Amino acid sequence: MSFKQKNIAVTFVNFSLILVFFLFRVFQMVQNDSFTSENVFRLWGIIIALAVFVTVAATILTQIVSAVIEAIRTGNEEPEIDSLEDERDRLIDLRGTQVTYLVSSIGAFIAMLTFVLGQPPLVMFTLLIFFGVLAQIIGDVSRLILYRGGF
Amino acid sequence: MGKSPISNNIRKLRFYHNEMTQEELAAKVGVTRQTIIAIEKEKYSPSLELAFRIAFVFDSPLEEVFSYDPKGDPGSSK
Repeated sequence: MSFKQKNIAVTFVNFSLILVFFLFRVFQMVQNDSFTSENVFRLWGIIIALAVFVTVAATILTQIVSAVIEAIRTGNEEPEIDSLEDERDRLIDLRGTQVTYLVSSIGAFIAMLTFVLGQPPLVMFTLLIFFGVLAQIIGDVSRLILYRGGF
Repeated sequence: MGKSPISNNIRKLRFYHNEMTQEELAAKVGVTRQTIIAIEKEKYSPSLELAFRIAFVFDSPLEEVFSYDPKGDPGSSK
């Protein structure tokens, strides 16, 4: 597994955890009757901050762990990490981004539709962030599938 | 994800060039080892530029390294 693949796998796990946290908090709010605009927008902030922080931290951690594993495996104190990005990586990344955009576009449409059908705006905003995180996860899954299966 | 209509002799050519490793070939053409593995397994068709770089490393014409079978290509009109 290359550094890029490891990085995508780590991001996939992190975003899955963020999605679980998001759903847990939303269900908690609905159960406690605290599904208010203040709480929903605070959750928005938390999710976006978490996503940015987790992406940066995951890249650094993957680099460190890969270097440690490589050093143990080869016995070389200054191991070379294969972080080079070539044409195949860029093509897979592009296709993953395409899937991410497609899912988030469908998600945005569904979110708008709920508003048109008379649901409160909070439902629309909750669905927007839900589909944003889901799109990232599905994009990462498609990248991993393309790395495994080829195209 | 069907089989690529482009096949190659990279594994054989590596063997004939002092049993060159995938790592060495990857370093010479400026890609990752995973990309060389994917090309050898015919899971990925390289760009024209990369195909020429690989042929240059083996000092062979392009058609000696890569071959195209139109029967395996659903997009072929012939």
